[in-house]
Amino acid sequence: MLIDFIVNGREYSIDVESDMRLIDILRYKLGLTGVKEGCGEGECGACTIIMDGEAVNSCLVMAVQARGKEIITIEGLEKNGELDPLQTAFMENGAVQCGYCTPGMIMSAKALLLKNPNPTEEEIREAIAGNICRCTGYNNIVKAVKAASNNIDGGFEEI
Amino acid sequence: MTDNLKYVGRNIPLHDIRQKVTGSMKYLGDMDFGNMLYIKLVLSSIANGKVVKIDTSLAEKVPGVVKIYSFANTPSTKYSGSAWFKDENTPKTETLFSQRVRFVGDRVAAVVAENPEAAKKAAELVKVEYEEYEPVLKMEDYLNTREGKLHEEEPDYYIKEISCGNMEDALEKAYKVFSDEVETQKVHHAAMENHICIAVPHPTEGITVYSPCQIVYGVQCIVAQVLNMPLNRVRVIKVPTGGSFGGKQETVLEPVCAFIAKDLNRAVKMEFERKESILSTRTRNATKGYVKTAVDKDGHIIARDVKVILDAGAYTSGGCKVSIAAGKKSFRLYRIPNQRYKGIIVNTNTPIGGACRGYGSPQIHAITEISIDNVARSMGMDPVDFRLMNLIQPYDEDPTGAPNIGNARIIDCVQKGVSEFKWYERRKADDKGGRYKRGIGMACATHGNGYYGAYHDFTRMNLRMLNDGSLILEAGLHELGCGTIVSTAQIVAEILDVEVSKIHVTEGDTRFSPYDLGSQASRVTYVCGACAKETAKLLKELMLENASKIYKVPKESIDMKGGYIWVKGNERTKRTYGDMAAEIQKVNKTELYVSHEYESKANPGSYAAHFAEIIVDTYTGLVRVVDYLAVHDIGKAINPGFVEGQILGGVQMGIGMALYEEIKFDAKGKPINDSFAKYHMVNAPDMPRVKTLLIEEGEDYGPYGAKSIGELCTV
Repeated sequence: MLIDFIVNGREYSIDVESDMRLIDILRYKLGLTGVKEGCGEGECGACTIIMDGEAVNSCLVMAVQARGKEIITIEGLEKNGELDPLQTAFMENGAVQCGYCTPGMIMSAKALLLKNPNPTEEEIREAIAGNICRCTGYNNIVKAVKAASNNIDGGFEEI
Repeated sequence: MTDNLKYVGRNIPLHDIRQKVTGSMKYLGDMDFGNMLYIKLVLSSIANGKVVKIDTSLAEKVPGVVKIYSFANTPSTKYSGSAWFKDENTPKTETLFSQRVRFVGDRVAAVVAENPEAAKKAAELVKVEYEEYEPVLKMEDYLNTREGKLHEEEPDYYIKEISCGNMEDALEKAYKVFSDEVETQKVHHAAMENHICIAVPHPTEGITVYSPCQIVYGVQCIVAQVLNMPLNRVRVIKVPTGGSFGGKQETVLEPVCAFIAKDLNRAVKMEFERKESILSTRTRNATKGYVKTAVDKDGHIIARDVKVILDAGAYTSGGCKVSIAAGKKSFRLYRIPNQRYKGIIVNTNTPIGGACRGYGSPQIHAITEISIDNVARSMGMDPVDFRLMNLIQPYDEDPTGAPNIGNARIIDCVQKGVSEFKWYERRKADDKGGRYKRGIGMACATHGNGYYGAYHDFTRMNLRMLNDGSLILEAGLHELGCGTIVSTAQIVAEILDVEVSKIHVTEGDTRFSPYDLGSQASRVTYVCGACAKETAKLLKELMLENASKIYKVPKESIDMKGGYIWVKGNERTKRTYGDMAAEIQKVNKTELYVSHEYESKANPGSYAAHFAEIIVDTYTGLVRVVDYLAVHDIGKAINPGFVEGQILGGVQMGIGMALYEEIKFDAKGKPINDSFAKYHMVNAPDMPRVKTLLIEEGEDYGPYGAKSIGELCTV
């Protein structure tokens, strides 16, 4: 069936089967391979995207559920060659190692900052609780999200 | 120690970090080689038995299915996926596919199809009939099992012993002897990227294997052996790695994938799902340790007897090597004049054990450090005081005759940690009452720096300066996300005084890279980093010699700095490195290119002391780590940010092993938690604050004094 949706500001009209997952549409039909798969059951968060403002695991969303929705993936954050402040903060705070969890991690953090530009440390940790990172031990990620938020004097140096 | 360093010691980000934060980084799963076939494995659903019949009739009818493989139509060449060089003395018990299945997850068959959906659908339709045997699941049962012996041609178990002094005598003379038993469990590496391989055949060039592996030359060795092909027809290219932690060190998918690509003469992709990564790759070996510790009246350890049964899983793979590597560590942390380590390596009907960050060190340290705590408590001593009385000192000899321990700063680690953590103050304040109890603990650990003393450890690098002053360091390195590429470039930059961004460092590709042993044994910074330093020195020397011909002055009169070269005292002769390189080509008719082989000369220990504060819920038994301090004897941090990153990640994995993670099985050997929904790891809210302190007292032979960190921090 044909579904219409917006991905990274662009309108798409795509023919999908009823059993297709959104992650497969994004990766294999639109070539957005920044969306990663780590577990296929919504536990690792590597496939996190933003759908109508909410962070969701695209491996748990059926393609048809995206009908009429507005989706942002990691590829949609960079605007005119300018990185999103979150991306810059991840680069500057040692928040990336192997990089496989990074797109999903950034999208979870982005969804948080869209709703809450001044999160506390606890709110940041909760927002990325569904994203597993095996390399960094999270603390530098939390630091990066904090640095990208408006609340820059949150007393985070101890993390 | 080297002072006034310009590039070494700086926090320069990963070379590919922009790609990683923008999602444009192409991992192997994101690559398409055109007209690819897809492999889906059929895994054994029983823990112990024999395949009696494989019915593929339904599977073959699925549109798109090309061919189905099993033991019946593939070679039965035996190999060990843990071997990384020719004729390595490691039990060879694996084959491409098994008829005699030995664990839930053993490879029974593979369906190859034109698309992944067809391969998956058909794999589910392959009907396998088994003759089932009683599984051996507990490693203690190894002696009692006769029915359904796991490997007919192999011994029932392997024994590895290391000793020093006279343990029996010392035990008799002891003031007191304490005994302990400690078990450690099977753990999944949980790299976020699942295991994956793509193999592409070529009519004249042989076969190219793309793998996010840790040892390209090891993969090449096994693939060539199993496919019976000349080494120069098997090309292995290391691709970006989405985490490994030892899980992608051994050769697992590559021989199967390469065999099928060769047989069908088509590019094939083999990508695991999480369940397959948990069951059918490698795990951390489970162990059961028995420790007897003999002390004198003052609390000096005079003897220790350590026996560790190691569960190699269904195929021994590197089990014997893990056991020896573990055993060696028990001689390199405390001064114990009389000690025996007995490693017993057994097979069980469970997933295969193998390399996993620390290679036996986390297991042996869990066993012996818990025992050290218990001995201290029994002697009425503070665990820190007891350790300080017994820890090794810098440059102690290894009592077994293994390489000297080097500038081992474990006592500094403990003392600095005690003061920073306020150990004695917090200890007095230990919480005694209520439901939630607070407590503190600490442990010490050591790990090695390469293979010197055990295997041949050397590497080669080629360094070329181009006519714009940029450089290519040809090396067989493996970036796993730890920062190997940038830290190696920092070392080269320091010698030549050029910006790190001007240096391109290559990763492993067996067709073009010089030989390297790979990213294993905590050797990369210590051995490959040292090679990079010497190689850069040779290039500098070559440039000076050639410039001296151009300038017609002795090379001692020439200065090189910040990308410029000139005759001392004559500013007008100043030109960029690039202009000089071009001039050298035109006038001297040679290029600035050096090739250098470096052989490791030592194998010192790296050391660490970790301190933790925890809260225990005495009703539920749940434990939460609330504060953490990691003090590391690092020699010299080439890139302190990378070092801290390793430590933080190591702590995440270490807490997981201590408190949450275990692959469990039911009475029939079927896994209970082969998915992330049921396999719990530390997430962001669970992660404590971690403070890191580095002791940088320099290590001989390490580049700028550096030594290993990546494995030790999990230990």
